[in-house]
Amino acid sequence: MPHATRPSTNESAFVLSALRENLRLDSRALDQYRPISLKFSSDPDVYGQTDVRMGKTRVICNVSCEVITPYSDRKFDGVFNINCELSPLIGAGVEIGRPDQAELLLSRLLEKSIRRSNALDTESLCIIAGQKCFHVRADLHVLDHDGSILDACCLALVAALQHFRRPDYEVHGEQVTVFDVREREPVKLTLQHQPFCVTTSYYDAGTIMVQDATLLEEQCREGEIVVSMNRHGEVCQIAKYGGVPVDALSVLSVVKQSWEKVKMMDSVVREALSKDERERDKGGRMKAELSAENERVMERPVG
Amino acid sequence: MAAAMVLLPGENIPTDKLPKPKKGKLTLGPGLQHTPPSTISATTAGSLQVDHRKAALWLEHAGGRYQPSVGDLVIAQIHHSSVETFSCALTPHTSFAILGQLAFEGVSKKTRPQLKAGDVVYARVSKASKWEDVEIECFNSATGKAEGMGQLKGGMVFDVRPAFARRLMMGTDKEGVSKGGVVVLEEVGGKVKFEVAVGRNGKVWVDSGSVRETVMIGHLLRGADEGGWDVEGQRKAVKKALRDV
Repeated sequence: MPHATRPSTNESAFVLSALRENLRLDSRALDQYRPISLKFSSDPDVYGQTDVRMGKTRVICNVSCEVITPYSDRKFDGVFNINCELSPLIGAGVEIGRPDQAELLLSRLLEKSIRRSNALDTESLCIIAGQKCFHVRADLHVLDHDGSILDACCLALVAALQHFRRPDYEVHGEQVTVFDVREREPVKLTLQHQPFCVTTSYYDAGTIMVQDATLLEEQCREGEIVVSMNRHGEVCQIAKYGGVPVDALSVLSVVKQSWEKVKMMDSVVREALSKDERERDKGGRMKAELSAENERVMERPVG
Repeated sequence: MAAAMVLLPGENIPTDKLPKPKKGKLTLGPGLQHTPPSTISATTAGSLQVDHRKAALWLEHAGGRYQPSVGDLVIAQIHHSSVETFSCALTPHTSFAILGQLAFEGVSKKTRPQLKAGDVVYARVSKASKWEDVEIECFNSATGKAEGMGQLKGGMVFDVRPAFARRLMMGTDKEGVSKGGVVVLEEVGGKVKFEVAVGRNGKVWVDSGSVRETVMIGHLLRGADEGGWDVEGQRKAVKKALRDV
């Protein structure tokens, strides 16, 4: 089976000449994102399932957890895994279990942005040090590929982590009771910050910068810079794997542009989360009454 | 013809729907299969279309997959060339179609066409069977003339659904009403000058003088295809787009 055809010379020449005139095929501005649609599961008992669409790109994320024994070298930490897969629904060239380079890069960038930046505080997942902890796993499936799958994946993942609730538990000495969802309201995860990824594709030796490229624009680009940061402007990582060289000042301006986009994505997620919360609370139950959670101090302990 | 009947794969056509053929022969089009003695069943999901005059039936389905059939005009992309032939892709992830290097107008063994990987040609399918490679040609082998086929230079290729491409190629009937229900190209052609080639494999090549106009035409095609605009909706969208350009 031959690989996916590269775009024809007519198409790549046209995309480039359109970009030189500041035009994109779907009439967006060069730095404009497609409208992002973020949906949560409609089932009231299910938390942590998201469905993100950016134009034709579609990603779903499912966060789940179970109780396991922590790693012996990390007694005080829980375990958090991210598993990202490109589904064969995207195209005939994709096989499950045989990740190609694009899939590997996608997993690696997600790991760097979310796990290594400690977005999810793994110490909060510990139940009894050295014996029991929560294992939170996030499974991402890319269902449709029209460019910007990393941006969509990161958004789906962060929204799912913020939406997810783990079971409540009580510790009496050595005894742990993990309550079922029907016994006690489940508890939200502790997220230190919410990182988002912004991919910037560039053309014409780095002079034209485009955000949220469609699949055709991605196939014609000379290279890409991926910036992960949160809404406070703290950069988690900057990645540029190969591609045509770009000068440093351009990279700095890309980071600044990405900050604006991250703020936009963050507001999309917040709005969707609060709307979902209002809908789930429709029965008039007061969440504050039902929750067994005490007021938590949200700073990290010193030392 | 009232509301067309929708069939699922494997369903048989009831005998009262069959047209009465004059010469005793019924022509079956795509999507239908004959099991002797007298059952006709559907092989794809679609709406049944009957032409009483020609005693023909076929299924119209809005599928996304193009299957080459002889006589179709397609837009092919050259993948690589070998000694005697070019290997072209009609659709992604399928086996290549073979285009002979001499299947062009006005070439001989000494003067071969200068086509490279990534070039796009307008061709006609000359051979299509399940067990052999598909073959295409860029000239009419009977007359030796190009008839509009050959390399397409410049412009832009837009992807549409094969069913939409078929509607685009349907042409107009006696009253001038478009048979396929797609009027975007004619409406835009009234105001903007452009060249267009429609490939039955779901590709439309458009070349207008300016980038902006080509982008607008592509946008209108996509809207008519995916947005499912009817004729009135298409006219309105064309008017609005022409005002913005």
